Amino acid sequence: MSEEAVKVITEEPSDASSRIEAEPSSGRSSRRSSRRSAERKPKKDQTIYGLGVLAIVIAVGVYLAAAISAVMGIFWVTGIAFGFILRRTNFCFTASMRDPIMTGSTSLTRAVLIAFAITSIGFAAIQYGAFTTGLPVPGMGFVVPISFATAAGAFMFGIGMVLAGGCASGTLMRIGEGYGMQLLSIVFFVLGSFWAARDMGWWTLNFISNGPRIHLPDVFGWGGAIFVQLLIIGLLYMAADKWENRKQDQES
Amino acid sequence: MAEYELDCLGEACPVPLVKTENKLKELAVGDTLIVIIDHSCALKNVPEWARKQNYDVEVEEIGDGEYEIFIDKTA
Repeated sequence: MSEEAVKVITEEPSDASSRIEAEPSSGRSSRRSSRRSAERKPKKDQTIYGLGVLAIVIAVGVYLAAAISAVMGIFWVTGIAFGFILRRTNFCFTASMRDPIMTGSTSLTRAVLIAFAITSIGFAAIQYGAFTTGLPVPGMGFVVPISFATAAGAFMFGIGMVLAGGCASGTLMRIGEGYGMQLLSIVFFVLGSFWAARDMGWWTLNFISNGPRIHLPDVFGWGGAIFVQLLIIGLLYMAADKWENRKQDQES
Repeated sequence: MAEYELDCLGEACPVPLVKTENKLKELAVGDTLIVIIDHSCALKNVPEWARKQNYDVEVEEIGDGEYEIFIDKTA
C-alpha cells in the first residue's frame, strides 16, 4: 500500500464530510483529478453571463409587472426563485420518494415534509383570513374528490418520474441547467398530459367524482385541521428519521 | 491501488447510483472508483450512499455542471 492509502486510513475515524474540509491542511492534495479532466480545457468564467441573465430577469419582471399585471410579475419572480433554489439545493421531489428505498437516505424526504408543514401553515393562514372576513375561501377549487384513482395515479406518476429522472419541476429545472436528456422527458411529459387532458372528462365522470371531497377544516374545525395536518407530517418526519438510522445500523 | 473510471455522463438520476453500486462490488479493497456525472441529483445521492458505506468520498467539479466523484473502497 502506498503512503497515501495509509494516511487515508489513519484519518478515517473522523466522518467523511469533515475529512474533506480538513483535506488542504493534511498535506495530501485534495485537487485530484482523473486523466480525462487533465486534458479538459479549464472552466470558463460565467460571471458575466450570470449578470447578463440577472439583468434580463429584472427587465422582464419590471415589464410584466408594469405592462401586463402585478400578478404576472410575481409569478415570474417566484418561478425563477423556485428554479434557482431547486438547482442550488439539489432538491428533488423524485429523490424524496425514491431515495428512502434506493439508498436509505431520507434527507430529501424530510426536507419535503418540512416544506409541506410550512405550506400548510401558510395556506391555513390565507384561507382562515378569507374565512373570517367573509370572503370566498381561496383554493377551494383544488379540493378535489379523493378516491382509489388518486392512489393509482400517484403510483403511475411515481414510476414515470423515476424512469424519466425527474418530476415536472425537476425536469424543468434540469432543462434550464442544460441537461439534454430531460428535453426528451418534457416532450413525453407534455404528450402524456395532453392525452390525460383529453380523457379527463371520462375519468372524472366514471371514477374520480365518486370519491368524497374533504376539506379538513370542515371536519376538524380550523385549529383542529392544522393540528391534525401538522401531527401527521410530524409523525411522517419521525418515521423518516427512524428509517434512515435503521438502515444505517443495518449496513454498518 | 487501481483506479477505475465510470462514465455516467448523460445518465439520469438512479442510473449512476446503480452503476456505482455494481461497479464497487467488483473492485478490490483499496481501489478507487471515479464516477463522472452531470445529473445534479446523482451529485447528491451517489456521495451520500457511498459515505453511508463508510467509503471515502470526494467531489470535484471538473466542468460546468460536470462532476467527478472519487470513491475509495476502504472496506
